[in-house]
Amino acid sequence: MIVCVAVVGHQNNPVYIQSFTEADDALKLHHIVHCSLDVVDERVNNPKKSGPTLNETFLGLLYPTENYKVRFHSAYVDAVSNPFHVPGKKITSRTFAERVSNIVKSFGLSSAG
Amino acid sequence: MGREVSESCVESLLTEIVSQYCNHFYANKPELAARRIEAIGYQVGHQLSERYTMDRPRFSDHLEAIKFICKDFWSELFKKQIDNLKTNHKGTFVLQDSRFRWLSHMSLDPSSENSGSAQDPSTMAESKAAQATGMYLYFPCGIIRGALSNLGIPCAVSADISSLPACKLLLLNTLRCFSIEKLKLMVQTYPA
Repeated sequence: MIVCVAVVGHQNNPVYIQSFTEADDALKLHHIVHCSLDVVDERVNNPKKSGPTLNETFLGLLYPTENYKVRFHSAYVDAVSNPFHVPGKKITSRTFAERVSNIVKSFGLSSAG
Repeated sequence: MGREVSESCVESLLTEIVSQYCNHFYANKPELAARRIEAIGYQVGHQLSERYTMDRPRFSDHLEAIKFICKDFWSELFKKQIDNLKTNHKGTFVLQDSRFRWLSHMSLDPSSENSGSAQDPSTMAESKAAQATGMYLYFPCGIIRGALSNLGIPCAVSADISSLPACKLLLLNTLRCFSIEKLKLMVQTYPA
């Protein structure tokens, strides 16, 4: 099940972070997200080692299903297209938060079933 | 690619943006007006590039990103591709559109001309045309700069209007119409 969704900006700044369990506190989540960025950096900075996977848009291959990644990306693109959104700043759109939590819920349902 | 917008609405909007910023918000301060208009274009380009690269893998180098701008991105915005791309392989790119759509319906107001001038009327008119169109190019330049910046390529984008072709001249008694079509964009990327 999905525990946390985060969007990180160009300067490694958190643009959106949301947890879906009661257990973890915010600081621990930020920590985990930053550590997982190391995986991304490694893929980007070592083209020889990464090989063909470098061109893959979704670098953190945690789950094999493609569908959810497309839906998250789509929600992000719509949120960022908001003319009142300032690039680099936190995403404050409630619609985005709702879409993200719907995706997470449907993910939980499908994996449990 | 989702919903569409009428092209004539976009052209009217562009005309009105220039008019408002040059004649009202920043009257007599054309440099400030230009900066604001370019900044609006920057944000638009930033957002559009996010949307138009959704289905694509990452670009392997700057040239691939510029080619994307010249082909797919330009097609989404202007229904055609860039006609000519040149580079010095040192970070400068020149993009040429021989029939830039957003300017294709524009003409100059002939009543502002000085009929008593000794200068060759067609060259004077050509430089007038170049001056007038300059303001309308900041928005598209901003769009390209915003798009490239979102793809990880900070750059400066300028439009070369000095080599506008001798415009089509249509003489109907004292009425003259000009159409300005050729756009040359210069993209200067910064060394990594």
